[in-house]
Amino acid sequence: MVKFIFDLDGTVTAQETLPLIADFFGVQDEIKELTRETIAGNVPFVESFIRRVHILGKLPVDEVAELLGKVTLYQKVVDFIHAHAEDCIIATGNLDCWVTHLAERVSSRFYCSGGRIENNRITKLTSILKKEKVVSYYKNMGATTVFIGDGNNDIEAMRQADVSIATGMTHWPAPGVLSIADYLVFSEEALCRQLNQLLSVAQA
Amino acid sequence: MQTAQSVVISCAGIGSRLGLGTTKALLEIEGRSLIAWQLDFFRDVEDVRVVVGYQANEVIKEVLKFRSDVIFIYNHSYFETKTGASFYLGSRHANDLVIEYDGDLLVHPDDVRLCLETKGEYIAYSEKMSDDAVFVVVDGQGQVVGFSTQQGDFEWTGPACIDRRKVRYTSGNVYNQLESFLPMPGLKIRACDIDTFEDYERAIQFVRSWKL
Repeated sequence: MVKFIFDLDGTVTAQETLPLIADFFGVQDEIKELTRETIAGNVPFVESFIRRVHILGKLPVDEVAELLGKVTLYQKVVDFIHAHAEDCIIATGNLDCWVTHLAERVSSRFYCSGGRIENNRITKLTSILKKEKVVSYYKNMGATTVFIGDGNNDIEAMRQADVSIATGMTHWPAPGVLSIADYLVFSEEALCRQLNQLLSVAQA
Repeated sequence: MQTAQSVVISCAGIGSRLGLGTTKALLEIEGRSLIAWQLDFFRDVEDVRVVVGYQANEVIKEVLKFRSDVIFIYNHSYFETKTGASFYLGSRHANDLVIEYDGDLLVHPDDVRLCLETKGEYIAYSEKMSDDAVFVVVDGQGQVVGFSTQQGDFEWTGPACIDRRKVRYTSGNVYNQLESFLPMPGLKIRACDIDTFEDYERAIQFVRSWKL
């Protein structure tokens, strides 16, 4: 049994979602520098995420969810997920209430961070997903785990996965990702080819 | 020409014997890098896999100038291992038949086509060209029956084509992996691998002789 665990932003979506939200609602200046420093690895992901949700949580939750429901996806990757829905999982630090419509399009099991909603606004972060726990969960079930991601918050999950695939489809992967990755791809075609090859090797 | 084989190009090494301080994939030969020549040879192969280690980012960026659908494989232990480890890592989740191609190898374009069109497993060899050769011993039917660092009929250059399921991890060389599967069909080609500076100069002359 192989379980494919995907990061969401930049791996399944063709855009990073938090900057997209910031741009749409005109708060990009508040978030741009923080995003850049996070991708560069200069601000720890958890700290950055808390600070970004503090800014973006003031926006209407339903409008954010609607916006993310329309985000551009890597269609070949989504097609692979649809074809192997039982064995594909999304692990995203994103908030569950923001990705509800997006999750319907991807049709996969989602593990997310959580937030408390009052009056259509986020008032408190209640959980931050540690993606490595998703990997451990499936490994403990006896699965061979494949983690696909590109950011600093993917590193520990990639380290624990049986096979790790770094993606550079949206931006150059974080240096820490490249220091532990088994594979690196820059296109949907290459990613899907590798995923199918992993499947056929496992099934042989 | 679509092929069902995967091609694994091993580019993880330091190239220390060459003494130019750069990994061999980035060597310039007649106006283009060595990896650019190789990617051109394999432009019709869907599954091209490049194993990277030393100067990985530079090699990756060079490859991306020519095609974006390559699968890169990391050999993080490139300092402690040789081509056998890179080939294992490159082939373990590949198509059933895998062509092993050292990143320091130039093969005449006509013979690259021959390699791609040859069905099944083989070991390719050439007339002796390089300074630091490993030899192959060939029987009367053209099968490769042995490798030797002392003497033999031809020089082992690669590529080799082998069933992925046979490839096992080794920190040694590819020919060490192949030894346990001998005899294997042989394929004589025109090829030049680059281990020393003299090999590099010979490779430039070799390319000039192609009359492309």
